[in-house]
Amino acid sequence: MQQPIVQLQNLSKTIKGKQLIHNLNIDLYPGQITGFLGPNGAGKTTTIRMMTGLMHPSEGKVIIDGQSLQEHYEEAISKVGVIVENPEMYKYMTGYKNLLHFARMHKNVSKARIDEVVTQVGLENRIHEKVSTYSLGMRQRLGLAQALLHRPKFLILDEPTNGLDPAGIREFRMYLRKIATEDGVSVFVSSHLLSEIELMCDRVAVIQNGQLIDIREIKNDTASFYYIEATPSEQVTAQLQKLDLSFTVDNNGVVVEIKKEDIPNLMTQFVNEGIQLFAVQPHQKTLEDQFLEMTGGGQIVEANSK
Amino acid sequence: MLKLIQNEWMKLWHKKGTWAMVALLIVVIIGPGIMMKYYESKTAEDLSWQENEQQTITNYKESLTNEELTVEDKKYFEEQIALAEYRLANDVPNQTEGSLESFMSFTSSMLTLVTLFTVITAASIVSNEFSTGTIKMLLTRPMTRAKILTSKLVTTFLFGLFLFLVNVIVSAIVGFVLFGVATGTELEMVNGQIVEKAVWGDLAYHYLLSAGDFVMSTLFAFLIGSVFRSSSLAIGLTMFLSFTGTMIVMFLSKYEIVKYVWLTHSNLTQYETGGLMIEGITMPFSLTILAIYAVIFLAISYVSFMKRDITA
Repeated sequence: MQQPIVQLQNLSKTIKGKQLIHNLNIDLYPGQITGFLGPNGAGKTTTIRMMTGLMHPSEGKVIIDGQSLQEHYEEAISKVGVIVENPEMYKYMTGYKNLLHFARMHKNVSKARIDEVVTQVGLENRIHEKVSTYSLGMRQRLGLAQALLHRPKFLILDEPTNGLDPAGIREFRMYLRKIATEDGVSVFVSSHLLSEIELMCDRVAVIQNGQLIDIREIKNDTASFYYIEATPSEQVTAQLQKLDLSFTVDNNGVVVEIKKEDIPNLMTQFVNEGIQLFAVQPHQKTLEDQFLEMTGGGQIVEANSK
Repeated sequence: MLKLIQNEWMKLWHKKGTWAMVALLIVVIIGPGIMMKYYESKTAEDLSWQENEQQTITNYKESLTNEELTVEDKKYFEEQIALAEYRLANDVPNQTEGSLESFMSFTSSMLTLVTLFTVITAASIVSNEFSTGTIKMLLTRPMTRAKILTSKLVTTFLFGLFLFLVNVIVSAIVGFVLFGVATGTELEMVNGQIVEKAVWGDLAYHYLLSAGDFVMSTLFAFLIGSVFRSSSLAIGLTMFLSFTGTMIVMFLSKYEIVKYVWLTHSNLTQYETGGLMIEGITMPFSLTILAIYAVIFLAISYVSFMKRDITA
């Protein structure tokens, strides 16, 4: 396995006696896009703020490329590109001046590099206009541009696709994928849009009530499910039980855990029993289902009632 | 560090308010200048300066016969009479009313406006980053928070210095164009001796002493602005203290502690006129107290800015 570029070690945060984050341990690897999920109030933003130096951890540390963010702040943070929530820019200046402003705060960001990034995010036509005239999507693009200026090894994005149009989201996704695979950038994305995370990420970390409850790869879903719509339903369930298959009732049909090669057999049996078949289709368990399964629905209440 | 200051300077001048401040500062210098010129030409006198001085002597002598005069008034009248007699005897005309010099000492009172505008800048330079949320963008850079705060502080003072130069240069130009350099000599009485007044030296000294209030107000506004992240609170509180400062000092004047409040000392021009806020303070003592407070203000600003969790 590769050396992780970012390590969260026993990260904890207590504010006014309330522990918001409990001993978080996460490793992030180069070239990998990791999604960060959790219900509202789970501590996503707090964690991200600690990873960017905006908040100081109560305990534990954040290590970026071998250097502790707390002890060697300047060196560690120079490898990080950040978009925390909405990218707030200086609205009274042009997009270009904003980028120039941030470029001056990094070492070795040339004017040519600024132009390059502007072209990458597709803002060349509007870059010399004031940010106050930009739409939310354009501000997101500008936000991405400022995060990429210094060629970070690690990119943190909090709700990045908020306000982008569908084409923009797609472009954005492709772009993230590209810098991850080509430049080996490690990307950490927090989002509420589960379908978005599902399309974008290699793996997801799920936190709830400040604790990491699961971290898993997305694309290796081995179990295969099929959705079968047939009547009468009593006969269907009876038949499935007889064959010892696990299933769940879903709308007008059932979702059955079954291998692809066993399908024809099952169909033959259904037909022989005189069951009327309407549809048989592969059923993908969405990340949303998995997420709700893991977190047990919205659990904001628990965090706030302490 | 230089680049950070460059950044702050750029942001400052992209705000319309900054330009409005400079424009306003120039207007309040040119406006009264033109008015003074206008009235001067209307009331052009027919009397020669000798006749004028003679009139002064007669007027003041008359006033001296009044028996209800206070000691100070009496002293003032006697001094003026002595000066006028000296002028007549030695053929030294008084300075003409409208002149570059008198105009510049008049506009030196506009330094209050320079202080006010610098206070506004000091109060908002940190707090605006919080209120617009740009602080997140600013602090996730390879620059320590101490450097960022320093760049903001330096920029504030550079801006103040710039406004001061605008005041001096604009009033010099306006004064020169409208009135020209003064003819005649300004006299004053020092320890019973009649001496020529060092007009430029006095003006420079006045500028220097005004810096006391300027620096303390700016640092105070910067402190409140960066600790409470509210520019209106910072401007309001600083203005409140500068208006009520004299009153607060008067209330406290019974107690020994008044000597150790910066408000007692921040107006250093009290040493120029001699009307001290309280008795028994000296210039070196005042400067020491102000320096201590300046360090305290800065220390609180820095510590709170560096320790803060950014949740904006």
